[in-house]
Amino acid sequence: MLELKNVYFTVQEREENSGGLRNIIDGINFTFEDGKFYAITGPNGSGKTTLAKLIMGVNPVSQGAIIFKGQDISAWTITERAKAGIAYSFQQPARFKGITFRDLLTVATGIEDENKLLEILSRVGICPLSFLDKEVDAKLSGGEIKKIELAITIAANPKLAIYDEPDTGIDLWTIGPMVSLLKKELAENHTTTIVVSHNRAFLEAADVVMIINSGKVVYSGNLEGALPLLDDLSVCTYRDSCEGDRDAGCYR
Amino acid sequence: MLDAIDKSLLKTVADLESLPKGAYNIRKNGKLLSRQVSANINIESNAEGTGIIITIKPGTKNESVHIPVILSQAGLYDVVYNSFIIGDDAEVTIVAGCGIHCGSSEPEGHAGVHDFQVGKGAKVTYVEKHYASGDGKGRRTLNPTTKVFLAEGAHAEMELTQISGVDEANRLNEAVLGPDSLLLITERVLTDGEQTAVSTNNIVLKGAGSRANMISRSVMKGNSKQTFYATMDAQNKCFGHIECDAIIMDNGTNETMPSLKAGHPDAELTHEASIGKIASDQLTKLMSLGLTYDQAVNRIIQGFLK
Repeated sequence: MLELKNVYFTVQEREENSGGLRNIIDGINFTFEDGKFYAITGPNGSGKTTLAKLIMGVNPVSQGAIIFKGQDISAWTITERAKAGIAYSFQQPARFKGITFRDLLTVATGIEDENKLLEILSRVGICPLSFLDKEVDAKLSGGEIKKIELAITIAANPKLAIYDEPDTGIDLWTIGPMVSLLKKELAENHTTTIVVSHNRAFLEAADVVMIINSGKVVYSGNLEGALPLLDDLSVCTYRDSCEGDRDAGCYR
Repeated sequence: MLDAIDKSLLKTVADLESLPKGAYNIRKNGKLLSRQVSANINIESNAEGTGIIITIKPGTKNESVHIPVILSQAGLYDVVYNSFIIGDDAEVTIVAGCGIHCGSSEPEGHAGVHDFQVGKGAKVTYVEKHYASGDGKGRRTLNPTTKVFLAEGAHAEMELTQISGVDEANRLNEAVLGPDSLLLITERVLTDGEQTAVSTNNIVLKGAGSRANMISRSVMKGNSKQTFYATMDAQNKCFGHIECDAIIMDNGTNETMPSLKAGHPDAELTHEASIGKIASDQLTKLMSLGLTYDQAVNRIIQGFLK
């Protein structure tokens, strides 16, 4: 349903770092199959978010092509991709002034009817009713805004849903329900799901784990096969400060 | 009585489709057009004949008074002095507003000078909209002044909006807050073309336990310019906050000068100010929900000025 054909994203390095060209995404070829759950993981700075944004059209591909349901969408705008059925949950969701959760749901779904909005809320489960008229502004906690972001993405009924680190700022006991929710959406609505995450819960839920390192796909397959590589990569530069003796449950 | 232009102006500035229920005073082209008083709300012309005095009886609950002004006479600059005396423990909504229709090349303008004496424990909501329309090239000017005096425990919530079409606006808001009183001001101004708007706000937190929050939202389109001054002068144990945000579109310009003066050791004053273009992450988010770039810009501005 989504095919990446020799996709590159290239940036100009700053003068002090040679000023040359650098491939953030370095020639990725990959096919995402319809109705499957993908987890993209890899070290910090490996290109996971960049790849996800290329699919949504937030950044243009420098080379190569993105084929979505048989059409080359490489030159499409974000709006066109959204209308074609791609939705994106941002790692750091935008905060507005004077725009409520209800407003965003209405933009995403075209639905204004109160009862239908309530139906959506009960479907996404994660958001209490009291969220509906909350402004999506700087006053929301990190966890609240991520739940709202996720709910809006689901409400849009996408064919392809991309979630960039949906668990950031989410309390640990909500991650389980979040994984179940994404799996339920996939099962009931056949939503092809891509989650960028380091969280064990998402990696375990995925049909396919994809590991990206230095802008290349270094592994794709089941979690079992990924584990040695994840351990081996010793990819996390934060391990000492983050985990210490405690296991934070991530594969960074 | 009301012609089509009057009706359209009234609808825009006061949300009135026809004459309102309850007390009202409609002023057209510098003269009284229509007035109605109610059991608890009295309206009378002041002694000088330059405006009206609106008196709300103590203890009045859930009543409203509409006092719109409409102008459609070329060359007229209408100045009006209105006084509001709000009795102790009264709760009232006052809907003011000025609509100018300019059909010629002559200038038209209005200056409404409003003073409010808000009694002990009284709650007033004041809604004011300014709007100008018409094909005429005449300059449309609106220079409102509001002066608010809050007695002990009084609440005033003021929503001041300049919607569109006003070439020049020079606003002055002044307030003196008594003990345990609360003042909330939200000002929203949209300018376009060569329009200019200046808003000057002087808020004196005089009484112990007084609180004030001033929110300003500005959008500058075209080559328009807005200037915002706000001073919170804390003279007692109190809390004051100024929040001013300006969005620049096209070649608009903005100057924002929040100023905090703490004249008491227990004063708590804060401010936040931002000026800039629409944040790209907001645009990207709305586009990822299917809006086009232009639709996303409109939706953000609409929310910002809501």
